Amino acid sequence: MPLLEIRDLDYAWPAAGMPVFDRLDMTVSEGAFILVRGASGSGKSTLLRLICRLNQPQSGTIFFRGRNIASILPSVLRSMISYVAQIPQMVDATVAENLLLPFSFSANSSKTVPEEQELARMLGDFYLDTVSLSQSALKLSTGQKQRLAIMRAILQHPELLLLDEPTSALDPESAAMVFSIMEHLNREQKTTIMCVTHSDYRPATLAAQTFRIENRQLILNAP
Amino acid sequence: MNSGIIDISAGNLLLAFIFIFIAQASSFIYHLGLNRDITVGALRTFAQLFLMGYVLTFILGSESLLLTVAVFAVMVISAMFIVRGRVKEKQVSYFMPTLLTMLVTYFATAVFVSGLIVGTTPWWEPRYFIPTAGMVIGNSMSAIAIALERLFRDLRQQRELVEMKLSLGANYREASDEVFRNAVTAGMIPSINAMMGVGLVFIPGMMSGQILSGTDPLIAIRYQIVVMFMLVGSTAITSIIVMLIVRKRCFGSGEEVLLTPR
Repeated sequence: MPLLEIRDLDYAWPAAGMPVFDRLDMTVSEGAFILVRGASGSGKSTLLRLICRLNQPQSGTIFFRGRNIASILPSVLRSMISYVAQIPQMVDATVAENLLLPFSFSANSSKTVPEEQELARMLGDFYLDTVSLSQSALKLSTGQKQRLAIMRAILQHPELLLLDEPTSALDPESAAMVFSIMEHLNREQKTTIMCVTHSDYRPATLAAQTFRIENRQLILNAP
Repeated sequence: MNSGIIDISAGNLLLAFIFIFIAQASSFIYHLGLNRDITVGALRTFAQLFLMGYVLTFILGSESLLLTVAVFAVMVISAMFIVRGRVKEKQVSYFMPTLLTMLVTYFATAVFVSGLIVGTTPWWEPRYFIPTAGMVIGNSMSAIAIALERLFRDLRQQRELVEMKLSLGANYREASDEVFRNAVTAGMIPSINAMMGVGLVFIPGMMSGQILSGTDPLIAIRYQIVVMFMLVGSTAITSIIVMLIVRKRCFGSGEEVLLTPR
């Protein structure tokens, strides 16, 4: 059974009524590494938002592990599918409190809260050695916040990780590091990743598939 | 000491218009552009209060439960239209839930205060029930308008932050917890401030009215204490219920934020 299946998905912008997807189909296997490319405004971010129900389709069905996502409690669905938006958001609290924020939500109550040492180690993995767990997250740069937001999502051990332009605010070195962490996560922890990106990044993993959104449809193995 | 109230003659009432002329002159001299509003406001005050006077005279004399409740309902519905005039929200419908909450909570408050604390017989004695309800409605109406405006504004402004929490597994209540608390607090602060200043900074209208009509100030303060507590309590409960219902309506079936940026 595929991890994610999208069938006959129709979506149009609510205000303008402009169609974004027209009977879109997609199948994502467990452990896949999906890259989604496409022109600005083609619906790349919307696709991720539809999968985690931050937007609602006009028609069509999305199945997660064979279950229609509309029948899964939204908070439970989003504890299994983590979405990281392009513009990172932090609450007015310390870095540690931001990283542990998901564990304060009832849908994540059964998950193991990471120790401080694990958080500190991961900061190093994300080239955030200069960032202290006790400093205010709001004072970080956009690039640092973006890495922190990805780290926060990973800490939850999601079954599907949706990343919207995760390297848009990063320098080439940090971007390469983020992609290498994603590949490691995909390879070692078998986390399925779907990533919207404009970059020329080509994942080394065999599980990688590249889609392009064109004419309101997804085209597989697009350049 | 005169125990009765001194009547204001029609001629003396006209003298009060001097204050309106002062306001008009100020607006005219300093080009405030308020002359029309001052005129309309003064005329509406004059007409509405005279009308209210005759209506109250009729109701107080009628001793009719049905009429008392009907007047109460008209007051609440009018208040709801004033709230709608202030809260310009098109994407989320809040009119009916707010109206129903106001009707139920204000009615319960007025019954409690009039029938139980003051101990009128019957509990709907119009002389007590209508003014009590009027004070609750007038005060709480502003609180609800403030809280609703704040809820919609903050949810729109903090949409991305709320969505971040939703994306990490929060339910809509957890994701909008801070927005909800700030909205209720904003609505309640005027009532709480009023409790701080009463008797020191200002003498409330009800107490002033009772003293002017010859009531012993020690009795008047008891009424005023009941009124102040009633206003805070009814404002809190009405604001919280309305915010709980309306907040739910700001989220869709997938607990997604329905309010889009303007």
